[in-house]
Amino acid sequence: MKKQLLNEIIEKKRNKIEFAIVTNLDNGKSYIFEKDKSVDKNIEEHKDKISFYFDKKKNGIIEGTNIFVENYIRPIKVFIVGAVHIAQYLVNFVKSLNFEISIIDPRGYFASEQRFPDIRIINKWPKEALEENKLDQNTALIALTHDPKIDDPALQYAIKNNFFYIGALGSKKTHENRRKRLKEAGFKDEEIKRIYGPIGIKLGGRSAPEIALSIIAQLVSETYKRL
Amino acid sequence: MKNSFDEKILDEAKDWITANQSVVLATVIQTWGSSPRAVGSRMIVNDKGDFSGSVSGGCVETAVVRECLGLLKENKACKKIEFRVSNESAWEIGLACGGEIAIFLEQIN
Repeated sequence: MKKQLLNEIIEKKRNKIEFAIVTNLDNGKSYIFEKDKSVDKNIEEHKDKISFYFDKKKNGIIEGTNIFVENYIRPIKVFIVGAVHIAQYLVNFVKSLNFEISIIDPRGYFASEQRFPDIRIINKWPKEALEENKLDQNTALIALTHDPKIDDPALQYAIKNNFFYIGALGSKKTHENRRKRLKEAGFKDEEIKRIYGPIGIKLGGRSAPEIALSIIAQLVSETYKRL
Repeated sequence: MKNSFDEKILDEAKDWITANQSVVLATVIQTWGSSPRAVGSRMIVNDKGDFSGSVSGGCVETAVVRECLGLLKENKACKKIEFRVSNESAWEIGLACGGEIAIFLEQIN
């Protein structure tokens, strides 16, 4: 692989572009493949097959050839509502996973850069913050404030836009009240059931890092169900 | 698995190159049976034999490092290597899981 190509790959990853690296295993030459862009003439004869692997997000050697395809998939967007203690641990755990994290909290004293260095913080009310991001089902929401006026609008937005993972912190009682409020707001039972509440898989721990771990475990598990 | 969890080995490769090290990239290109790492798993090796990432569960990494150093010494662009249980060096580096893997080595230059 040429250094220049390596730089291009890293640049595309940084810009969240989906692409495939196509390598000729006979001579070690690699090329970048992007959907709807012109294909290098050296791999043109395999264009349809490469395209097939790209669409299926399949990695491997194209049968009967010496062409290896490896796909790069855009990271999944995760919005955390509430720049609380648990969020600090979530951010730490997620560093080594391929999630693109944003934290929403209208309360400036929580969502400070000092508490969350290097993380995108949106200092707005959730509805406004989510709406301006134009999100689809490749998005996850983790609501952590258990304050209805902050969490509820975010949960409503996530349900309406079919986020693949929606979780909300709070006890069974808190969740029951949340369920009632959403029902009154016109949401159907099967829609409300899409919210994981109380959030996280059962690990037993109640400390902030343990709760954060249980949330991440659930999020990763749901991510694989979706793929 | 669709490789949505990027292990950032290429990012690390770039850092090594920026630090003027010679780097070989090793990528799992094919697996048969139960192999520990999926196709597309990567590791990098520098001219001192330092390595990062993985292509198995620790079973063949030592041998891969040796092969990578050989590639640098001979100044070859690339090479394909395979590991299987029936490999003659199985006592030392075979895959305990009974799987087989093919790995592509290439210099980044």
